[in-house]
Amino acid sequence: MSEQNQAFDRRMLEVLVCPMSQTSLDYDSEQQELISKSAGLAYPIRNGIPVMLQDEARDLD
Amino acid sequence: MSENSEKTTHFGFSEVPEGEKAGRVQGVFNSVASKYDIMNDVMSMGIHRVWKDAMMDWLAPRPGQKLLDVAGGTGDISFRFLGRAGHGHATVLDLTEPMLVEGRKRAEASHLADSLNWVVGDAMSLPFDDNTFDVYTISFGIRNVTRPQEALNEAYRVLRPGGRLMVLEFSQLPNDGLQKLYDLYSFNVIPRMGKAIAGDYDSYQYLVESIRNFPDQETFLGMVRKAGFGNAKYRNLSMGIAALHSGWKL
Repeated sequence: MSEQNQAFDRRMLEVLVCPMSQTSLDYDSEQQELISKSAGLAYPIRNGIPVMLQDEARDLD
Repeated sequence: MSENSEKTTHFGFSEVPEGEKAGRVQGVFNSVASKYDIMNDVMSMGIHRVWKDAMMDWLAPRPGQKLLDVAGGTGDISFRFLGRAGHGHATVLDLTEPMLVEGRKRAEASHLADSLNWVVGDAMSLPFDDNTFDVYTISFGIRNVTRPQEALNEAYRVLRPGGRLMVLEFSQLPNDGLQKLYDLYSFNVIPRMGKAIAGDYDSYQYLVESIRNFPDQETFLGMVRKAGFGNAKYRNLSMGIAALHSGWKL
C-alpha cells in the first residue's frame, strides 16, 4: 500500500490531546486535521500520522 | 528581548539558541532515517541489540500493557516490547516523520499494524492525557531533547499510577583512562563510518558530541527523582558506555 493513502486511525482520538492545552481534539476528516478549540490550533494529519507540534499547526481564526 | 530567546543549549559541542535545537536534531534524523538502524549496528558493533535486550529483561513486559515509546523512531523498541509482552499496544512518538513512516512500513510487513500507533510529537509537550500509559520508554533519545528534565516531567504525567519509566542512553565510563580510550574511538571512528555508510559525517559527529555532553549516571538519576519517580535506580551497560535508568510512578 502506498504510504500516501494511509487513513487516520480514529481510535487514536481516545488518547490524543492538544499538547498545548491538554484538552480533547475534534477530528476533521475532510481537512485531515485535529482541531483544538481551546488552543485555537489545527494539527495536520499527514499520511495518516498526526503531527502534534505547535510549529506545524495552523492558527484558527 | 525575552529571557528565553537568549538561552542556549548544547548541539553537540556547539552552543545554539534553545529554539533551534529541535529543528537541528530533526535535520540530523531526517538525513539518516533509512540507514539509522544499520548505522546503530555498525557503530556499536551490534552491542546496541544486547543493550536493548537488557532493557527488555529489566522491563519485563506483561500482556496487555500500553507502552509509550518516545523518540521511538522506526519502532525498534516497540517491536521488542510487543514481542515480549505477547499482546499489548504501543504508541511510537518521534519528532521526525520519515522515521515513523519507515517504522510503519515494517509494522505492516510483520502484521503488527493493529498493535501500533505512530505520532509526531515533542517529548517536552506530549499530546496525551494524564495517567494514560503503563510503560514509558525512551531509548537513545533523551540526550537529543532540549530540556531533558521537562521530558521526564511529562513522562511522569502521562504514566498511570504504578506505571514504569525506562531510559536507555549512552552514559559516562567510570574511569578517565577508559573514557579517553572510548573518546578516541568515538571521535575518530564513528563520524568516518557515518560518512562511509550513510554518507553523512556531520550528523554522526553530532551524535558523538551529544553523547559526551549528556549528564552522568548519578546526575541523571537525580533528574529522574526530581520528576517524581520513586524506587529510581540505574544499571550500567558495557561498563557505562550506556546506562539504563528505571523509575516508578508510585
